[in-house]
Amino acid sequence: MIFLAEWWDVRDLGNAVGELLEWLGDHGPDWLPYTASALVGAITIVVFLLVSLLVFAWLERRLIGRIQARRGPNRVGPWGAFQSIADAIKFVTKEAITSANADRWVFWLAPILVVVPALVVFAVMPFNEGMILADLNVGVLFLVAVGSVTAIPIFMAGWSSNNKFSLMGAMREVAMLISYEIPLVLALLGVVIFTNTMRMNGIVGWQDEHNTWLIFLQPLAVLIYFIAGAVEINRTPTDIAEAESEIVAGYHTEYSGVKFGMFWLAEYFAGFAIAAIIATLYLGGWTLWGLEEWVPGWMIFLVKLYGLFWFFIWMRGTLPRLRIDQLMGFAWKALLPLALINIFFAGLEVLLWQENDLAAEAVLPGFAIANLVLAVVLIVAWAQLLGRGRPQYRPTRARLVKELGAVVYGEEA
Amino acid sequence: MTMKSEPFVVNVGPQHPSTHGVFRLRLTMDGERIVDAEMVMGYLHRSVEKLAEGRTYTQNIPFTDRLDYLSAMSNNLAYCMAVEKLMGIEVPERGEFLRVIMAEFQRIANHAMAIGSFAMECGVWFTPLMWMFRDREKILDLFEMTCGARLTTNYVRIGGVSFDIPPEFMPAATALVKELPERIAEYESLLLENEIILVRSRDVGVLPPELAIAASTSGPVLRGSGVMWDIRKADPYAVYDRLDFDIPVGTRGDCYDRFLVRLEELRQSVRILEQALDMLPDGVASVEVPLALRPPAGEAYARIEAPKGELGFYLVSDGSPHPQRFHIRSPSFINLTPLRDMVVGLTIPDAVVTLGSIDIVLGEVDR
Amino acid sequence: MEDVGSIVAFWVLSVVTVGAALMVVAVRNLIHAVLFLILSFIGVAGLYITLSADFVAITQILIYAGAISVLILFAVMLTPRAARDNAETFLQLPGLVLAALVGVTVGAIALVTDWNEATRGPFSETAAAIGEALLDKYVLPFEIASVILLAAMVGAIVLVRED
Repeated sequence: MIFLAEWWDVRDLGNAVGELLEWLGDHGPDWLPYTASALVGAITIVVFLLVSLLVFAWLERRLIGRIQARRGPNRVGPWGAFQSIADAIKFVTKEAITSANADRWVFWLAPILVVVPALVVFAVMPFNEGMILADLNVGVLFLVAVGSVTAIPIFMAGWSSNNKFSLMGAMREVAMLISYEIPLVLALLGVVIFTNTMRMNGIVGWQDEHNTWLIFLQPLAVLIYFIAGAVEINRTPTDIAEAESEIVAGYHTEYSGVKFGMFWLAEYFAGFAIAAIIATLYLGGWTLWGLEEWVPGWMIFLVKLYGLFWFFIWMRGTLPRLRIDQLMGFAWKALLPLALINIFFAGLEVLLWQENDLAAEAVLPGFAIANLVLAVVLIVAWAQLLGRGRPQYRPTRARLVKELGAVVYGEEA
Repeated sequence: MTMKSEPFVVNVGPQHPSTHGVFRLRLTMDGERIVDAEMVMGYLHRSVEKLAEGRTYTQNIPFTDRLDYLSAMSNNLAYCMAVEKLMGIEVPERGEFLRVIMAEFQRIANHAMAIGSFAMECGVWFTPLMWMFRDREKILDLFEMTCGARLTTNYVRIGGVSFDIPPEFMPAATALVKELPERIAEYESLLLENEIILVRSRDVGVLPPELAIAASTSGPVLRGSGVMWDIRKADPYAVYDRLDFDIPVGTRGDCYDRFLVRLEELRQSVRILEQALDMLPDGVASVEVPLALRPPAGEAYARIEAPKGELGFYLVSDGSPHPQRFHIRSPSFINLTPLRDMVVGLTIPDAVVTLGSIDIVLGEVDR
Repeated sequence: MEDVGSIVAFWVLSVVTVGAALMVVAVRNLIHAVLFLILSFIGVAGLYITLSADFVAITQILIYAGAISVLILFAVMLTPRAARDNAETFLQLPGLVLAALVGVTVGAIALVTDWNEATRGPFSETAAAIGEALLDKYVLPFEIASVILLAAMVGAIVLVRED
């Protein structure tokens, strides 16, 4: 591939960094390239996230405006594009109130810590073949571990606010995170079973090598991961921890100004993180069946990431919110067994494949079809089992009458 | 082993996103379950009933706008009907038809708001509310066209209406009425078969008909409990006896049924409007009445089927230009009374949905 | 060059871990104690990383910082006592004695043991090896542990069932 190794080739931004690190290694002490690479990576990730945030905070409002038959922000700059900047200024200049009975230190620390997990996830995210800050060989596990820590800052925020609504929000969030962690991990396990690695770049490479995306091999797992991911990032239909109509704003009820801004920021970052994970693990990451030779891989990755994020926006504009017990019941009664069955079949298929030494080209399409059928059958069967078929959960219409006086209570419509 | 837990109190309101104003619900919780609910009202009390005693009958009409500020037309209508009853004024046919047209448009506007905010209580991020605002805007445009005001219309007057409709009203109104069934179908496609709304509101906040009648609820709350009752049919006023429409009733008395009833009432209102716009006679819209009315001593009670239920005005006259007693039977307030029985045993999210399904306006609750 | 980075990391992590552990005992507020405990867990995870045990380190975060600590937080939150502080206890003296005993034992072992200095090899993959060990050599203990956990879970459910 022509020019790909040149530092100025934007198709692989890793080249420039590589050149820089080499130069530093030649001219500086041993520890310098190491430190520099960490710094460059961290700064790049933060800048990337902040820019994405600025764009998407505006875009989401415009898109939801479209969904809701209104215009959305259109005053600040062309098409309202500077709305996010105006919002950022507003966040920073507003007074950050600390209520008198709040636990000051914890209250102050929570909005800072809450951003960390969402940021750290991107450390193992391959933007392109060489563009990965830390290609850990336990990458998938790292994602899960970091995701599990998210509960703690949120709990700190809710508890330290000394507000009943905050505490309720925090308890809900923590309970939800713990419950949804399990189907989430099990959904990821299917990927690891197929690719036989937990290294993020390895998983992308496997999908590239077999010319398939794992979404085709693991349709059920993608669905489970998507739902569990939506729960983790607190957006409707699962924004139960900050359910506006119930508990005001949940764990960040008492936060204002820049501290509230941090929670808002963290929520977006977490959304990007979930979208990035799905894009990498299930949608082939920076590969697109050979197109990555011509288009920069990181662009392909970003298109996938933003496209997935659009799904979250769409969901937010459409769906109502579940009740906490219904959501928890869904995790334990539906997602967990389905994820387990999915893993069982994934393991079975890989065993079949490896033991008999079959050709991937022959066996993978079969698996894809089988798994799709399995997913559909399981979802339908489980919906029936969990009461979709029960008469009270069938939509009805009001009965129309002309005469007055009688009572039709209790009759089936 | 039983878990020992302390009851704790959660104040939903007076400043809370889903109390529709400044209503306060003091919930005593045992864990997740509500064991007691105390309604605290009066944060929006403006003493309308007392103020009205110091003003003339005509001057009182704007007060009624500000009771249920989402359905000002209906309030005007009920009050003016009471005064007309007191005075024995006959309203011209065209005036009656205009009143019905406005009242039914107002019902659609109110139900759009009620269904939208009910969906928001169920957690939708504004979308149904915004969709319904499209239609509500067009209705408010019609109001503006007619009387210059959108919210506090002050349109219905003693003896008729304040202005006859302008020439551009009829085309706009017929176009809107043609468009509405399509829109309602759109809302139904979004909300009716939405499983999350179903599981959130089905069998939640059940109001049995015995309790609904005992608490003298009315409107969609009563009809949602399966009681066939509508003042437009039971005690026809204006020209409702000449119009053909059905009464939607629920069969379970839960939040979903109340929502269904409202959704169907939208369709029925469109039906009424189609007929009323078609039948609108020519002639004068109102009769002349003196500004300083002096009704003969006596009392009168007039009631209408307002969007939220039975709205009644009870007036006592002592022959002076001011009412001696001015009492409002406000549907929001009375529909709210069985709330405690509806929410005990539920959780906070359910309580919020139940409150949303009752459709209150605090201006009317506190008066 | 002597690996400065890992030595610095070791000392920083050790100070954080031990300091946080001390604070767990010292602070009055139980929630603060739990939060310090989480910090201590994360410090331990860092120490694992300096020992090239990536899988164990991440599992430490996943299980201890992510799950166990939340469990403890829940336990503290569900405790009916309104003021959840580290109250004075009559077990102070026995506690101190026990701590001293543990300290002496650990110290003695540290002094007596003939420490082998491991040469620092390349960062090896441990996940596969751990997986193989768990499902091959140690499959019985692994399964027994799962059965015990399952039994504990069933027991907990039976205990709090209302009917």
